This record gives sequence, structure tokens and C-alpha cells, in this order.
Amino acid sequence: MSLSKHADSAITDDVTTANSAAIDEAEQTGNPVRSGTAARPGNHSTSASNISAKTPNSLNGRDPHGTGISDTGRWSTKRIAIYALFVALSMVSSFISVPLMPGVPWLKYDPSGIVCLLAGFAYGPSAAVIVSVLGFLPHLLTNQWGFLVAVLVALALSVPASLVYRRIHTRKGAVISLVLGGLCALAMAIVTNLLITPIYAHMSVGQVVAMILPILLPFNLIKFTIHGVVTFLIYKPVSKLLHD
Amino acid sequence: MSQTDSSPRSTTSGAESKSDMQLGSLSPTPVVALDHISFSYDSGQHWVLDDLSLTIEAGQRICLIGANGSGKSTLARIIAGLITPDRGQVNLLGHPVFDEEGPRSDQYRMARRGIGAVFQNPDDQIVTTVVEDDLAFGPENLGLDHATIGHRIVYGLDAVAMGEHRLDNPTRLSGGQQQRIAIAGMLAMSPQMLVLDEPTAMLDADAQSEVMAVLDSLQGQGTTIVLVTHKPSETLQADRIVTVEHGRLTNIANPYRPGGKAGKSQTHSPAYGPAARHDADGSLHAGAFAHAGDGLQPASASKPADHSPDLAGKGHLQAGQSPAVGQEPAIQVSHVTMSYSREDQPTLYDLSLRVARGETVALMGPNGSGKSTLARLLAALAWPDQGSISVEGISLAKPSKQDRRNLRQHVGFVMQHPERQLFAETVAQDVAYGPRNQKLDPAEVNSRVTRALAALHIEDLADRSPFSLSGGQQRLVAIAGVIACRPSLLILDEPTAGLDTMASRRIYELIELLHLQGTTIVLITHSAEEARLLADRTICLPGHDQQADGQGAGKPAEPATAAASTPQVSSYIGSMDPRVKTLGFLALMFSFFAISTPLQLGLSLVLVLGICAAARTSPVKLLVSTRVLVLLFVIMSALNLFLDHSGHILLALGPLSISSGGVQTAVIYAARLMLAIMLGALLMETTTPTQLTDAFGSLLTPFKALGLHGQELALVMSLAFRFLPTLGQEARSIIDAQSARGGSIETGSPAARLRALGAIIVPVFAGAIRHADNLSLALDARCYEQGIHRTHWRIMRVRPSDAVFVIIVAAYILALLGLKMAL
Repeated sequence: MSLSKHADSAITDDVTTANSAAIDEAEQTGNPVRSGTAARPGNHSTSASNISAKTPNSLNGRDPHGTGISDTGRWSTKRIAIYALFVALSMVSSFISVPLMPGVPWLKYDPSGIVCLLAGFAYGPSAAVIVSVLGFLPHLLTNQWGFLVAVLVALALSVPASLVYRRIHTRKGAVISLVLGGLCALAMAIVTNLLITPIYAHMSVGQVVAMILPILLPFNLIKFTIHGVVTFLIYKPVSKLLHD
Repeated sequence: MSQTDSSPRSTTSGAESKSDMQLGSLSPTPVVALDHISFSYDSGQHWVLDDLSLTIEAGQRICLIGANGSGKSTLARIIAGLITPDRGQVNLLGHPVFDEEGPRSDQYRMARRGIGAVFQNPDDQIVTTVVEDDLAFGPENLGLDHATIGHRIVYGLDAVAMGEHRLDNPTRLSGGQQQRIAIAGMLAMSPQMLVLDEPTAMLDADAQSEVMAVLDSLQGQGTTIVLVTHKPSETLQADRIVTVEHGRLTNIANPYRPGGKAGKSQTHSPAYGPAARHDADGSLHAGAFAHAGDGLQPASASKPADHSPDLAGKGHLQAGQSPAVGQEPAIQVSHVTMSYSREDQPTLYDLSLRVARGETVALMGPNGSGKSTLARLLAALAWPDQGSISVEGISLAKPSKQDRRNLRQHVGFVMQHPERQLFAETVAQDVAYGPRNQKLDPAEVNSRVTRALAALHIEDLADRSPFSLSGGQQRLVAIAGVIACRPSLLILDEPTAGLDTMASRRIYELIELLHLQGTTIVLITHSAEEARLLADRTICLPGHDQQADGQGAGKPAEPATAAASTPQVSSYIGSMDPRVKTLGFLALMFSFFAISTPLQLGLSLVLVLGICAAARTSPVKLLVSTRVLVLLFVIMSALNLFLDHSGHILLALGPLSISSGGVQTAVIYAARLMLAIMLGALLMETTTPTQLTDAFGSLLTPFKALGLHGQELALVMSLAFRFLPTLGQEARSIIDAQSARGGSIETGSPAARLRALGAIIVPVFAGAIRHADNLSLALDARCYEQGIHRTHWRIMRVRPSDAVFVIIVAAYILALLGLKMAL
């Protein structure tokens, strides 16, 4: 398998960026977000005042050819663009649905979890959160409870995985984080499904456990195994593309 | 809009043409002054730009030319203030943005406001799903007031003659129109200078002239224009043509221009690299544009069979022998009609054609005439609605899996932008993908790979990562990956689009070689020159007049069913504040799940019908939109039918029984879910994606204290919506291309299936990342920054009518609870 060989060769590559964005980070600029006042192009001077006039060219492994404009905040245009495309990929793949098990057509495999995992591996837990939540947002309008389940499961999958992979930044670390993420997601999928099934079917939680568990457990086991294997095979080529 | 620094072009006299190459030009208003700049991507191992100096005067039109990889795009980005050099000094619009101490971000910020930048791929520069919102994006970032933004939108659209498309979805416009919108988006920011990096590279001839006409009119208004181009015709109006060669400049005045400065064209400073190869007007073609040099003969003069490796190996047609154009047809198409959706005008209508074995046929026709569709039909990637197709004796009207597999042994398909299908770790592995899928033994695979690479003169790239190559090299590698399968019929869809002369020549040479070896070739092209040079015969597909604008250049024919939301602004629901609407609808949708009695259901039904009426939407239409979930409803209802045993038994089937309570539960559970889905569909129908993301961003602002970046998240969301169709379409063409090389996820060993999956996922990610790179530059060019104060073109205002809706929602929820208590 060519892709796994590739993973061997680049174990030491640093995948996460040093200044990974975190949405819980306090905003530095403190500009008003919205106001009706007009500003002329000439005197418009947003956050120019709170950065030093000359930003060192290559600080913190930043782009050596950056103009310094993006260095003020944590959301450079590059980061916004990458997040947007990952969210779009996650949306596209969340609309793919392949039934995995005969007789249970409402449980379907979609590969969007792979996108969440890769975002977390490449850009850290905050990226995993953003892609997991925003990527499913279109489903909020069509399937409200399904949206909640999908987001919770995607978070359980990608956030622990990215946290572990950030600490253990090796191929072995990737395996550990994928297994851990898979287990968390498995638990989350079963719990949330047990909770929401009574909304769709007139059953008690006890009945659901007896009836659904034999279906839920194998389905999700297969699902997260596929997620893990595919992610493991492609995370190195993809992260190499990201950091070229 | 006033162009502030619009000095007449005549100030650029010939006497300056020598001095303005140097620092401290005597000219009064240099818009750009680059002083001894150097640029390297690998910290100084190779210099893309090497001690280069350039001055550009206000109002000039400068063309930057040079071969692929000469550094002209890098230079354009430095001029546009998007990247910095490693060394030297940069002054843009009078702002000292870069010197020995590094970049001055505040100066860059100010300079960028006066510089517009337009890039190759129009698709990657458009940030929203409505044309006018896209034009508003830049002015919003500049913090302009509502009225000014309105004027700027009108000005921008008028300047590119796109006024009637103001409310259209830009992703559904043609490539030329998209590029005009991208230019308009820059003009809306009222720039003094416009930097364009091969803006017509991905456009067909008509679209190219559309864009060039816009530039001519801007030039007339005094805007400084810096144009990077490959095409000699695009330099006609230039004041100055600057050749970038090996990171250095050669300066030439424009010899084409009537009464121009041809006489002064020899005055270039000897300090700037090798002397230009232009001595007389006529030789500019060969000198400045060809750059062939590297041992390649012009295709028209070459006899490929004499010096090229025998691609087909022994046992095939002997090289050098004139190909036998047989009478047996390789392709037989009879009365084929094909449309992507029922409502559509058919893309192909009653088409018949025949291609003899060994023939090279050029397929031409305007955009939207179905060339790419025909190519997909011939490669068995799609099926015709009517008519019959036979390729290499295999009937493709309704091909079986086995037929398709057989066909793929014979037919090679080079899709548009085939470099997008590259996925493997090395070039050699990528080229080997097709032969390996044919289950050849390893020695044969290796020999195929070697020969394919040799045929394109890229043997030296075998161990490189395909992603580290230049665009032109990637194209050659991708084509090698197709010919390594040894097709007897090769279909090429615009194989030289966007390539420089040298890379194009290698492809011409390959086509001639394969032709001599007896391969049947179908070449889709926009260039009559290419057709004349290579083809035995040209087939022109008739265009559909009404489709002239229908499709983007460089894209396969696109089904017209792509998400086009037509919000009904006139209705009560349609004109609601999107924040109130979204929150209200969500509250309703969630509360529907509390419905448990017929009375509650009745109340909710009345509410939903009322909302439909207020939105002027037929509830039946919404119900139809829930049809994809019918299966879910059926299973759910069946489950509920048998689970609930309350009430009296209506029917007993052995151990299973159906009770009246079961029926009631089944109906209520299905109905409440259906109501929720209908409301969701209604919300999407009456709200544009832009409104939704605006509402999303606005609703997040209270959480700013918690560190949630509402403005940025809303932009991420809006860009994601914008790129959905693009990514979907790309994924489809990558799947097509890899299937044509025999990759299959559905069949084969688990390892082979995983490899097939990787061959799709990796290029899809590579494409997404490529879009992100381009998009971030486009966001920079539009002056977007995190946390800036932005104004909004679409003003959201909560009005009394919105308050009425809130009261109705609250009353409904209370009534629902009341009915529950009453029981």
C-alpha cells in the first residue's frame, strides 16, 4: 500500500502549526464588530495601531513572505480559507450515504468524520470543533435531532483524537488517537441514539436498548473502523499537501 | 469613481524607458518601485527572482511575459502587495511597504486598498453565491457606508457590462462572466492599479476577448494595469512588455502598437539578464514566447517517430510507417440525445458521427455544445438518453459492468485539467496506477511507466512527488498516466489549455507519435490552429444559442439543477429578518416533537399551512421535497404500528397485532416529523445562503465575550456554501478520471479498493487545498482581515412584522403545552 509507506517516511514532520487557532482564545483587537458609521477608504485604520510597525519576517514559523497583515489575529485569511474548504468537504461528504448493513437502511455510512479527523490532525482541536459543527449545519434545517447526534459524535471522534495526536506526534500516536477517538465516538453514538430513538419511535429507553443495541454496536464499530483506517492511510499525504 | 493618480499615458516617453528600470526613477508618480528585490521559496537555494528592479508609472499598461516557472506570477504577487520578497525594497502607491527591516504591515494595509488583484481561476475569487453580494464584499471590508457600496456595485457591474446579472449566482455563470465579476469585485474597491495574473488562461476565445475588452476600457480611464500573460495577442495594447527570464527582467517596448515605440525597443539595460531575443518585430513570437530552446523542435516540423521511443513496443504498428487509416470505425455514434435533467435543453441532440480506426479527429464547438459530454459518453462514464454508441466494437448504449471494464482496456481519457487527478507519492507510482489496475505483471508495469515517461521527456521526474512539480509538468505526468494504459482510442479534453508553448509542444509531439503508431485520437480543442496542426479532420458540434452563457469554461457540462435559490422577497416570510426567521423556525421545528395528540397535530398543521400561505408557497411542493425520506417514514410507522399496543386491537397476525393506539402513534410520529421537514424546506426556500450566514454571524455576536469569532465563522460558513458545488463537481471528474484508469472501489481485493479510495480522496483534498490557497489570496486582495470593522450591504432590521411572528410562535408553543396539560 503506497500510502502507508509514505506515512513511514515522514513520521517526524510537524503536522500541527505552532500557532493553532483556538476559538476560545480571547480576541486581541477589540474592534467593534458592527456599527453603522461610514469610514472612508483613506482614513480607515482598523487594527493597524496595535501591531508594531515592523513585524519580523519569520516569527513563529510564519510565512517568510507574509506581509505581516495577518499576524495580528489568529484567523489569517489562509486559515479562514482552509477551514472553509474543510467545512465544504465535510458538508459534501455528509450528504453521501451508503447503507452498511442490510435491513437497517436508516443507519448509513458517510465519510464526513474523516474530514473532521484530518482537520483535527492538521490544525488542532479547535479546527476539529469548527469542522464538526459547521460541516453538519445544513442538516439542522432538515433533521434537527439527527444534526445534534451527528455533531456530538463527530466531536467525540475528532476532538480527543486531535488532543492525543498533538501530544504524541508520531505514527504510533496517530494509531492511539484514532482508536481512542473511535471508542469515544462509539460510546457517544450509542448513548445519543438511545436517547433520540424514542423521539421517532414510541418506545421506552429500555426497549430501545434491547432492540437497537445489537444493531447500533456493530454498525458503529464498522463505521469508525473505516474512518480510522482511511484517515490513517491518507493523513500524511494530506498534511504534506497542507504544509508544502 | 475618481481614479486619483491617472496621469496620461503619454508621460511615459521613450527617453524614460531606460531610466525607469532603475531605482529612483525621475518620473513624478511611480505606482510601483521595486528595488533590487530577490525572492526564494527555499530560503535561498534557488532564487525565483534575482536582484530585480522595476518601476511602473501611473496609468501605464504593463505586460509581464515569460515561460511557466519564470517567476512572473511571483513578481505579480509582490506588485499586488500580497507577498513580500526576501531582499530589496518595495514601494507600492507611494507606501514604503518593504525594506531591509522587513515588511511594514501598516503600510502594506494602506497600499493594498488601492491595488486590485485578479487571478487565473475565476472560480476561486468569488466569495458569495449572489453577484451583488460578491461585489459588496470588498467595499464592506473597507468599511464603506451602505449608499457608497450601492454606487460601487453599480459602477463595477457597468464597467464589465454585467448589470443584468446582478442577482445571479456567480457559480452558474460562464468562465468569462465569472472573470468579469472578479474584475468588477476589484473595481468596486476603486483601485488605482489592477494586477492580473493570466486572467484569461482558463477561458475560451470568446471569453478571452470579453475580458480584454474590459481591460481596454479601464486603460482608457487611466487605471494602471499590470497583466501577466502567455498570449501574444494580449500584449497588443501594452505600453511596455517586460519579459521575466531566470528571475531577471528584459524590458521591451511594444513593437505591435501602431505608431508605437518599436524604434526604442532596443533600449534595455544590459544589467538585466540575458539580452532579449527580439531583434525585429516578427521574431517576438519565437523569442519572447516560445522559450523552446530546450532541444524541442516545433511540432509542425518534427518527425516524432525518428527520435522518440517506440511507445507501443514490438508487435504494434512499426514506427515510421504511415498509419493505416482503416475503414472499420473506432467510434460509431448514431442519433444520440443526452440531457442532464428532464427540464433541460438536451446537451447533445440527435448527434451522429463516425471516427475511423487510426484517425485523429479534432472536436470543436462553442462552450456548452456538449464536447465534454460526448467525451464522457465515449469513455462510458455516462450513458445517452437515446441513440446508440459503439466504441472499439463495444456497444455503449446501456453498457454492462463487464462492457465497461473491457472498454477501459481500450480507451484512454485525458480529462480537462488532468493534473487534478494526481495522487501518488511519486510520479512513477502515479503513472503505474492504470497498468496496475490492468493486473499486468510488475516488470510489464515498469516498462510501461518508463516508456510513457520517455514519450513525454519526463523520465527525470520519475521519483519526484507529483505535488512538488509545476503545473505544466503535472499535466505531462497525468497524460503519461493515461497513455501508460496503452489505449487504442485516446480522448483528450483540451489538453493544452493554460500551458505554455513548450509544454504544449510536448503534447503535440506525443499526439503525432501516437497517431503514427495507429492510435485513434479524439482531441477536444478551442484552438483552430491546434486542430489544423494535428487532426486529419475536424468535427464541429453545433452550439445552442440559448446556452451560450450556460457553462463555465474549463468545466464539464454542468447540470442546470445546481442549487439556485430564488427567494420570494415579496412574501411576508420572504421579507422577514433572517435572524428572527431562523430562530423562530428552529423553535417551531423542535417543539413539533412534543406533539402527541391529534388535537396538537391539528393545531400544528394549521400553523404550518398558515406559514406556507404567508410564504406564498404551495404546501404540496414542500411535501414533495420530503420524498427522499419516505422510506424512513414507512419504517418508522411500521415500527410504531407494531410497538404500541394501547387501545383496542384492530388486527392480529399471530404474535403481531395492530391496535388503534398503534395506528394513532404511527400517524402522529410520521406527521410531526414531516411537518418539521416541511418547515426546514420552507426556510431554505425563502432564505438565501448569504442571509443565513449573515444571520448566523449576527446571532453569534453576543458570544464574542466568550471568544467566539462570529464574523469569521460566518465567513467560513458562507465560503463553504460557495465552494460546495465546485468541490462536488471536481470530485465527480476525479472519480471519472480514476475509473477511466480502471480504479474501482466496488470491486477487487480490500487493498485494491483502499488504493482506489485513496486515488480519489487524496486528489479531492489536494483540490480543496489548492482552492484554499487561491481563495486566501483573493480574500487578501479584497482587504479582508480578522476583526476588522466591516459594514454590511445587506442590512438586517427587526421590524414590527417580525415581532408579530415571534408572538405567533410563542402563542403556538404555549397552546401546545396547554393542550398537553389538558390531557
